Amino acid sequence: MAPAVTSPVISVRAVDMVFRVGKGEAVALEDANLEVMDGDFVSLIGPSGCGKTTLMRLVADLVEPTAGEITVAGKTPRQAREDREYGYVFQAPVLYEWRTVIANVTLPLEIMGHPKGRRRERARELLKMVGLERFERSYPWQLSGGMQQRVSIARALAFDPKLLLMDEPFGALDEITREAMNLELLRLWQETRKTVVFVTHSIAEAVFLSSRIVVMTPRPGRIREVIEVDLPYPRTAETRESERFFELTTQVREALRGAPHGGGAAPSAAEQPLQRTAGY
Amino acid sequence: MVAALLALMYPVALLLGMPLARQRMENLSNWERATVAALPVAEADASGSRLPLGSSPAVDAVVSGLQGGSAVLVRGAEVLATGVTIDGTEAVLPAPLSGPAARLGASLEPVAGPTDMSGRVYALPESAPPGAPLYLDGSLLVSGSLSATERADGARVRFTVPGLADALADQTDTAVAVVGAAAVLEGSGFEREGDIVAFASAPAFNAPVRLITGDYAPLDEAAGTIVLASPTSEAPRVAMEHVAVVEGLTGTYDGENRDFRLQHVPLLERDPGRRLYVGDRELLSGDERPAERVDGTLRVFTFASDHGLVTVDGRQLVEGSDYERDGNVVTFAAAPARNAALRQHPDYLVSDASTGTITLAAAPAPGEPVWAGSYTYYARPGCGATAFECFLSMPQHPVPFPNWVAERIVPFFTAYPFSDSRNVIRATLYTAAGTLVSLAFGTLIGVLLAVLFVRVRPFERALLPWVIASQTIPVIALVPVLVAVLGNMGVTVQTSLVPAAIVGAYIAFFPVTVGTVTGLRSVDPLALDLMKAYAASPLQSFLKLRFPAAVPYLFTSLKLGAAAALVGALVAEVESNNRLGLGYAIIGQVQAGDVADVWILLVISALLGIGLVSLVGLLQRLVAPWERTGLAGADGDG
Repeated sequence: MAPAVTSPVISVRAVDMVFRVGKGEAVALEDANLEVMDGDFVSLIGPSGCGKTTLMRLVADLVEPTAGEITVAGKTPRQAREDREYGYVFQAPVLYEWRTVIANVTLPLEIMGHPKGRRRERARELLKMVGLERFERSYPWQLSGGMQQRVSIARALAFDPKLLLMDEPFGALDEITREAMNLELLRLWQETRKTVVFVTHSIAEAVFLSSRIVVMTPRPGRIREVIEVDLPYPRTAETRESERFFELTTQVREALRGAPHGGGAAPSAAEQPLQRTAGY
Repeated sequence: MVAALLALMYPVALLLGMPLARQRMENLSNWERATVAALPVAEADASGSRLPLGSSPAVDAVVSGLQGGSAVLVRGAEVLATGVTIDGTEAVLPAPLSGPAARLGASLEPVAGPTDMSGRVYALPESAPPGAPLYLDGSLLVSGSLSATERADGARVRFTVPGLADALADQTDTAVAVVGAAAVLEGSGFEREGDIVAFASAPAFNAPVRLITGDYAPLDEAAGTIVLASPTSEAPRVAMEHVAVVEGLTGTYDGENRDFRLQHVPLLERDPGRRLYVGDRELLSGDERPAERVDGTLRVFTFASDHGLVTVDGRQLVEGSDYERDGNVVTFAAAPARNAALRQHPDYLVSDASTGTITLAAAPAPGEPVWAGSYTYYARPGCGATAFECFLSMPQHPVPFPNWVAERIVPFFTAYPFSDSRNVIRATLYTAAGTLVSLAFGTLIGVLLAVLFVRVRPFERALLPWVIASQTIPVIALVPVLVAVLGNMGVTVQTSLVPAAIVGAYIAFFPVTVGTVTGLRSVDPLALDLMKAYAASPLQSFLKLRFPAAVPYLFTSLKLGAAAALVGALVAEVESNNRLGLGYAIIGQVQAGDVADVWILLVISALLGIGLVSLVGLLQRLVAPWERTGLAGADGDG
């Protein structure tokens, strides 16, 4: 099943973002250009301060750009937010501690005015999907960090948005949990056919999950390079041990370091749609 | 924990109470007084060189003094013999006494009265010398009674008579009490247990209450009646003339020494009943003031007598150096200070009450005895023999022993039926109701203000200084104003919950406002972003995020508010003179000086406070079941 290549889900053009810091200014993002196609899994990677999170927040209309133009699903970000076009997963689980697990998942549905019975049904489905159906009556503090983050993913998926914005969702997790979560996320993505924008600073995570990796550099935040990931789907634990995985991680690492590179990216970009088709 | 606190109260009670007890014990005005009187001979017809003195506690006390001093035998004011010694219960004379010891007059007249008093009440003949002893069938009757410590107020029926149990230990007859000028019998008129006497009807206001411990006691001094402890068929007879053994003062009888000592000390400084004699002559015990005013410049003063000892402010002056005497005119070397107490003691003065020393104006002639017809001294501390006994018998303790408080608990709670507004549980519930109403109002106002402050910033800037200023007004000053305003509005503040509700709310709303504002502002910025990402309306954002996030803060401040509102309600009750609540009960007991009851009320108030705060905690567990901790409030994300 090939992705529809009509218009991009997200389009970022010549976006600048300048924060006022005291009396001075900090350039968080300079001349950012990016297109995310329907069904893409795009990772934003880069060191701290490169503007990854800022770019996400711009797309989500949690902040407004200083200059440039952004469209989300063909609308302004504000319109897209009001039309609930995306689900957002934060660095922290941000669960409401006064709500049980299931009530946290139904929260967006409540806000969006879905009928009550339907809400619970949907929340149970999602909790089952993230493997937490037995914890629906628990309070957030009774869950581990990984479980909490899974609840927050379930919550983001609750109203079935086409676009999922994930800001370092596994940043606070240990390596073992993180890898398990990665597998689970990939499975989810393949099941639901969503477009995902994923912020991380783990190279392995980016390579393992993404169809494309956007490499960013700091001071000022810039998009340096976009790397196509041609690893076949479905990816499994073995994928991490393949030769191509190491080549790609090396390529990303070098891009991050700012080393020059040949035409490695161009052919892979040309190959990519083919490879992915082959994967299915 | 509680046991340790209770145990700690004992040393604290002693630490604070013992100095007061010691003061109480050392204060002579609290001491029991005893009078040393002439001892009439116990048998009216006794004669010879050995005279029986009889034996009773009162007699024994005097005899013990005679043994230390030198006894003198007198008839009236006439000295019959000096150098009398005491051998057991007999006085041994240097020369035998001729004739009977007492010349008895006519029998006393029985006085008609209630039948159960027949054979007890008699009237003295008018010809009887004052204070003359009575003899029944030739034997001396000893007068004696003990007084109650409490004053009769017209309502009190229970009286304490210290020493009564000991004094009547051997008595098998029914005891007799003298109330005012009437005698009542045990059984019909009163019951006694130990030192406690409970009368069937309350003695009249200010009527002296005494219990007869001797053979008889004076009944109505004006009518000259007496009442006997036991009824007799034969009437007692009064001694028209009798010999008695009296205490001779010790000192050097050399014709020059003027200082002599009494045996029973300390003496009362001013004792109208003190009768001292030199030989057959009674000494005047009073003092004289000068005819002139002591103005600080005058040196010449005139007294009534032409002899005596002169004192200025209690200090004895020396004739010849300090002053010169010309008849009854005294001229001082230096003018006494203005308004100094200038006195002349014509015959003697008490120069040292603690050692019983008196100084005579003129030395007695050699061989002339100085003797005491009667005098009063401080016998023993009224509160007990030791400071600890005085501590135990203190009517008010700064801190009571916990067991005393414990003993008061049941009577304290059962003193009034629940239907009576003075019932403690009822009062506690009343105050609890006032506090809860005030807390409800305070919470409502506090939360509304907080929401207003958070939603509308200018409100906070405009109102916050006033809100803070409101809390600097002492409640104690606010209540009278409130009471006046409510009174004008027609509210009967004495029986209304309104003052307590308003004052409690006034105090409680502040922590609620502060806590709720803090809570509403405590929201995680990411949680707000989440709401934004869901495109939630401001109302949804408030109801689903800000308000629940503020709930733990609200409850924490509500607990503070509950404790404060209770204090406010108590103050309001006291100041609005509302007798239905706990506040008035506390003040009432403090004023009544019942420390144990005050402590019980203190514990009740504390328990009420704990109860109210626990109630808020219970509510919190129902409303906010996600909370892990009690008082701490929200601690960010999990």
